[in-house]
Amino acid sequence: MSENTYKIGVYICECGPNIADAVDIDRVVETISKYPDIFIVKRHKLLCSGPGKDFLHEDIVTEGLTHVVVAACSPKDHETTFANICKKSGVNPYLYQLINIREQCAWMIKDKEAATDKVISYIRAGVRRVKYHSSLEQKELESTPDVLVVGGGIAGIESALNLASTERKVYLVEKSGRLGGTAGEFEGIMPYGSLSPEIVKSKIADAQANPNIEVFYDSIVESIIGFFGNFEVTVVRPNEDNIELKVGSVVIATGFELFDPSKTDKYGFGSKANVMTVREIEMKAKTGGVTLADGTTPKSIALVHCAGRDEVGYCSGVCCNSLLEIADYFKSKHPNIEIHDVHRNLCKTSPEEAERISNLEEKGVVFTRVSDVSINGDSSKTIVEYTDSKGTEKTIDVDLAIIAPAIIPGEDTPQVAQMLDLTIDDFGFFEEEHLMTGSFKTSVDGVFVTGCAIGPKGILDSVGQAQSAAGNILSRLVPGKKLHPEVKTSEVIESLCTGCQTCVTVCSYGATSYDEIRRVSSVNEAICRGCGNCVGSCPSGAIRAKHFTEKQLFQEVLEAIASSEISG
Amino acid sequence: MKNNVLVIGAGITGIEASLLLAGSGRKVFLVEKTSMIGGNLVKYEEVFPNMECSTCMLAPKQQDVLQNPNIELLTMADVVEISGNAGNFKVKVDVQADYVSAADCIGCGACYDPCPVSIPNEFEEKLSERKAIFVPCPGALPNVPVIDKAQCLRFAKGEECTLCQESCMFEAIDYNKQDRQIELEVSAIVVCTGFQMFDPVSNTKYGLGEIPVVYSEMQFERLFASNGPTLGELKLRNDTTPKKIVVIHDVGKEVLGYNSPVASMYPVKFLRYLTHKLESAEIISLFDDMFIPGKNYQAFFNEALKPNIHFERYDDVSVEAKGEGALVKYIADGSEKSVEADMVILSSTLVPRTGAPELAEMLGIEMAESGFFKSNRNGLAPVATSREGIFVAGCAEGAKDIAHSVEQASAAVGLVLSIIGNEIAV
Repeated sequence: MSENTYKIGVYICECGPNIADAVDIDRVVETISKYPDIFIVKRHKLLCSGPGKDFLHEDIVTEGLTHVVVAACSPKDHETTFANICKKSGVNPYLYQLINIREQCAWMIKDKEAATDKVISYIRAGVRRVKYHSSLEQKELESTPDVLVVGGGIAGIESALNLASTERKVYLVEKSGRLGGTAGEFEGIMPYGSLSPEIVKSKIADAQANPNIEVFYDSIVESIIGFFGNFEVTVVRPNEDNIELKVGSVVIATGFELFDPSKTDKYGFGSKANVMTVREIEMKAKTGGVTLADGTTPKSIALVHCAGRDEVGYCSGVCCNSLLEIADYFKSKHPNIEIHDVHRNLCKTSPEEAERISNLEEKGVVFTRVSDVSINGDSSKTIVEYTDSKGTEKTIDVDLAIIAPAIIPGEDTPQVAQMLDLTIDDFGFFEEEHLMTGSFKTSVDGVFVTGCAIGPKGILDSVGQAQSAAGNILSRLVPGKKLHPEVKTSEVIESLCTGCQTCVTVCSYGATSYDEIRRVSSVNEAICRGCGNCVGSCPSGAIRAKHFTEKQLFQEVLEAIASSEISG
Repeated sequence: MKNNVLVIGAGITGIEASLLLAGSGRKVFLVEKTSMIGGNLVKYEEVFPNMECSTCMLAPKQQDVLQNPNIELLTMADVVEISGNAGNFKVKVDVQADYVSAADCIGCGACYDPCPVSIPNEFEEKLSERKAIFVPCPGALPNVPVIDKAQCLRFAKGEECTLCQESCMFEAIDYNKQDRQIELEVSAIVVCTGFQMFDPVSNTKYGLGEIPVVYSEMQFERLFASNGPTLGELKLRNDTTPKKIVVIHDVGKEVLGYNSPVASMYPVKFLRYLTHKLESAEIISLFDDMFIPGKNYQAFFNEALKPNIHFERYDDVSVEAKGEGALVKYIADGSEKSVEADMVILSSTLVPRTGAPELAEMLGIEMAESGFFKSNRNGLAPVATSREGIFVAGCAEGAKDIAHSVEQASAAVGLVLSIIGNEIAV
């Protein structure tokens, strides 16, 4: 656009008495009207009101404006309101600038003349800025509603079941030959509480029977490239060619491992003491009952909490309940069995759990709070050594000690993270996009992580999180609906790019990439969120942020400084 | 109609659910009991585990709700009747008269000063005063004042007071507005009515309301808040800065018989608050359980382990007045102990909202033994209530942290969308 085609309109809102009383608007109009390139300057009592909006719309059209500057309130209040009017009036909304003269001038400065000077300076800066604006258009992207789920445990199954429909196909890739993961192995004692193994089994059966879920067994996802709405996936299958899939979103549900208690001698794994993990008990219960090495049934057991907690550095939050489940199991099979529960904290987090603990106490289970615990012994006896709450060292002799090892990150986590450029936290789990509002999201838009892959949790929480990921995808990836990527993205000026790749390292969203052949970086506008990290870090000034270009900002600042110098 | 969804409660859970539903093209009716959206998060300066600024997390979402054309927000409103079935509910909502019109009011606040009535502000836990025409706190959204009819001279006493109306330059105040009842047709309902804190006032052993240096958790939140009555300065009611502070965790647990992980971690936030603002104060943390579940809470807790904080596990505790301050008596490891303090902060457990049983009855959904709305946890459907088409999310379903509340909002939206299909609103 050449200079002589500017038709800039400046509209000043009085905001009732809010701006009118604190600012000499007559002087503002008079001063600004003399400023070059300004076509009209008008004031209105309340631009955001119905009549105010009508006036603005009609005036922009009648005057045939090319650029609009509105001096009014905070952009948090009405930036969008006036942008929509510009759009309706045929002015590209990016050729408009809102100046906040209420919060930043009228309500801040008691001296009317000083406030008026500041308003003039702000408007001049805004007018100068808007002259350097460019029209920007909202782009639309096609997308596929189909979803890839990586991992066929209970979390992956739940996401798949919630997502699959006649309009949306789900590809479920499982590295083993069966669905269900860890939860699917339970049928003796676990899962804990009132969850039954049947509910897990019915979910597995539902997933297998669902015509809109395609399961790839013994398969591995080799690569995922693309962005929300348009990912391309390569799956390696056994005895078959690799298959290429197109999906709009990805759910990672690769599960967990258990802490290996033999890594330390605290839990008796270096001795001949009788120690079993919860999972070993579960497997034995499934296949005929829990017996000791000599074939006898234990007459006394100790349930030792928090195995591996100090080593991994966090509480898994589910082990307590699994040990209580074991206590229930033994008490129902052998009412006279002696059970010692040795814990640091025993948390009653619901009325049901509180009731269960008191029931177990009634049945003779002895609950002891300890500060330090270890397991030792030989083939004849197993000794639990602990320090009680008063600091006294004590021991209990039992036939069997049972531990519930901590939940640790799944073995596939690093490979999947590398493939998708996801971050991993200090413990080795996938890292959340945000601890509170993005606990099942990742830094890559459209890629979700659910279940124990993102942190230790029980079956109910894993399923809940799987439903959350599905809900987010259902909300945002509607079949037939186009996606609207960010308009104010960054762009690389290739002639200035030296190929240093700093921009690739600083981008949190994976939007920047480097072309090895052409030796320049580029920004994928479908992924870019316009944060400006790459712009600020580029040592060659080769990246431009649309709508926040260096020129726009400098011109705005220069004018603000110049005008404030004049007015003193 | 098929596209309409009712969301009850505009805390973080209801906001998240509404935004996701609206984003998918549904029409959302968001019904909120109070005059503002944001729920309990509005009261907090910071939220844990990452001690992030609460407003910074919440405000963009509040703005999104107010600006979203697919969300119709009904504040000062209560759902009073429901009939029909999943996919076809008819809902009656009582909406209180908006004497201040949101369409005309610009939120300048010119009407507050002339109002002759001044009463304790409940939002600020009565640590400051408000007028009969007011917004509960600076930054309230929507930024539109309401008239407290029980306190207003005109409505409560029949006086011919028009001071607020006269002060409004935008003619936004109309005393002749009437309460109204509206009828909505929706295909699904998401209940996000949240929680409240256990109130220890009736339990005299804590001295709340009697001993001036004893503060409830919400009073302390407001005292710490930079938009609160002291603008964030930790000053006691007698205008002094506390030097020795006792934080009592798990208040109410012995009455209820259980605690929640979030309530166990909540007072740790106070320890972080205190060490942040009062570096030299001596702090005694009396706890019962310390449940630190999941990978993120340990780091949060570890940051609270400062040399000026002394942790002790208590069995029983009581607070009595002593001079200007308080004497906290407790039992630890079987022996009686006591400590003098010039500030006592009570951190209670989270309990269901007053009125939850009535709402459950009206909606025809079951309640759990805990008093929260019952979800089908055993059926691995933690956001499904006993009634088809009605879902529950956030603390209305049971005490939980923000992350889990936001997760449940998303899960509930998923179930709503999979039930009412992928039709796009025209």
